[in-house]
Amino acid sequence: MRGAEVLRNPGRVLRNEGGSSWYMCYFLHRLLDFRVPDVESVISMLGYTLDLVQWQLPHGNEPFSPFWYLRLPNIELPRLIADRAMLTKGFMEVWGEGSTWEELQESIEACPAAIKDPWLKEDIKFKIVIETYGWKLGDENHKDCIQKLQFIPFQGSVDLKHADVKMWLILCKTSDNSGIPDTVPDRMYFGREVSCSDRSRVDAYALKKRRYIGPTSMDTEMAFIMANMGKVQKGNMVLDPYAGTGSILVAAAAFGAQVMGADIDVRVIKVGKLDDQGQQLDVYSNFQQYSLTPRLAGLLRMDVHMHSLRPGLEEAFHAIIGDPPYGVRAGGRKSMPKPGIEIRNRENHIIATAPYTLGECLRDLLDLAARLLVVGGRLVYFFPSAPETYREDEIPAHPALQLVYNVEQILTTRYSRRLIVMEKAEKYDAKKASDHHLSLGEPMLSIDRLHDQVYEQRPGKECTPSVFDKKSNDYQDSTKRFRSKLV
Amino acid sequence: MKLLTHNMLACHIKGVKNNFPFMIEVTKVETCDADYDPEFLRHMFPRIVWPAFLQGAEQMGCRDGLPEAATEEMLQEDTFLKKFHHALLEVRLQEGALVCPETGRKFPVSKGIPNLLLTEDEC
Repeated sequence: MRGAEVLRNPGRVLRNEGGSSWYMCYFLHRLLDFRVPDVESVISMLGYTLDLVQWQLPHGNEPFSPFWYLRLPNIELPRLIADRAMLTKGFMEVWGEGSTWEELQESIEACPAAIKDPWLKEDIKFKIVIETYGWKLGDENHKDCIQKLQFIPFQGSVDLKHADVKMWLILCKTSDNSGIPDTVPDRMYFGREVSCSDRSRVDAYALKKRRYIGPTSMDTEMAFIMANMGKVQKGNMVLDPYAGTGSILVAAAAFGAQVMGADIDVRVIKVGKLDDQGQQLDVYSNFQQYSLTPRLAGLLRMDVHMHSLRPGLEEAFHAIIGDPPYGVRAGGRKSMPKPGIEIRNRENHIIATAPYTLGECLRDLLDLAARLLVVGGRLVYFFPSAPETYREDEIPAHPALQLVYNVEQILTTRYSRRLIVMEKAEKYDAKKASDHHLSLGEPMLSIDRLHDQVYEQRPGKECTPSVFDKKSNDYQDSTKRFRSKLV
Repeated sequence: MKLLTHNMLACHIKGVKNNFPFMIEVTKVETCDADYDPEFLRHMFPRIVWPAFLQGAEQMGCRDGLPEAATEEMLQEDTFLKKFHHALLEVRLQEGALVCPETGRKFPVSKGIPNLLLTEDEC
């Protein structure tokens, strides 16, 4: 795995060091394992090496906490990152933090004047935003909190609508709450907003308002995260080999790339379905809906296992992003050779397909990516897994591809999926690739039995219903320990 | 199907040697808008097999103004880039077929989507 260095929390606010500054990277409490890779991928996409960047764990060194610190080499970066990252709320220049109001005041007072003074001037219109984490603040408490900040010598005027600067007071209190891991220590933070994330694209592209979707359409937020992990930007060429209803393609096109989609199933890419008014809906409709048609390079009905991309074609795509078909919802299919069969009417012939194991499917996908990606280009795909049987060494490898991230999204207690991000590290060498494949033999993953694992009935603890416990005001069940990741 | 896609494909029927480029059988061609992005064009240009591109452009009726041979230097000229962009991304085969140069097998293109699945006896 490759990523920026992660430091332990030193228990005090770090500020500027040798031309780079520390910011609080305030995360959403969602998809916890995806948050750091999402931000790092955006940083790489913007052309910065991760050697210039450092993370600092949140207070208490609890990675689930949303209050990470990030050291960035450029003052433009917090704004550029917030614009693209899907799992941040924003970036803040922290003036002080503490576990009590006294500690907070002490810390803010110790913050160098050079940081504070420009924002305390008379002509600065400001606004204080109070954020709570793990609890809710009543109106009266709101006033109390502002009162407690009276010691900060703001000379300017408060302007809620047109503030020049937004100050954030973040109050984290999880000790008397359930649902959020109480390992996140109570803490208060105060600082200046440097950038605020724009999550409006999650609504603008919401699946529920999309004209054409199917049961396996990739969730909008996740499609954008996948495009971020693929470092997709304007000028790129992006391929989704399992395009389906085109959800991932839409996200990549929204980020400015030209996109190409393939699918073995004609129903999803061509036939589509009819809407209430009897109008034909298909992948094209989705691109029209968002005015992205000018970035749809092409759709193909094609089998990745027996594809028709010309043999000499290499390094054509910057990113290959897809959700491979696997057993639980829509099993994979591939072309089936049947020598000697007589086909009378080629036009009406329905082509037979054979089941396609995930092991085989991923071997094909990795080899395709190793060949078609530019060096430095990324392959991003989901790997289904069952936490009980997952083995890290089952994540497929390829001599030309380097694993960058492997992050888990827990779906149920027995079933999860992992987002795998690989980067092409060297030019494709067909001999090396085929030697590698020969050395491994027939690919079969334990996950190819996934369907059985997910649906098989097992007696015992999983079947006992949750019991509501009045005393703790919470459900007493075995899933609770997973809840912090089930967001 | 745009010429960008056409240039990436070859006939993959088992045993076929002369597999590229596909001949284009045109029933209906449409022009469409595509983002004009010189950076994208400069990325794609070295991946394009120019004679195949010209042949496709001829068959799709957008050969006009494209030079017999193209060089990397031309990518600095706006006039060339615009013509390349138009033929590569703005002309779309809506209905027709891709025809294998060796076997004559037709891969139908309908609603702009080529069907490249092989039948059981071909793979």
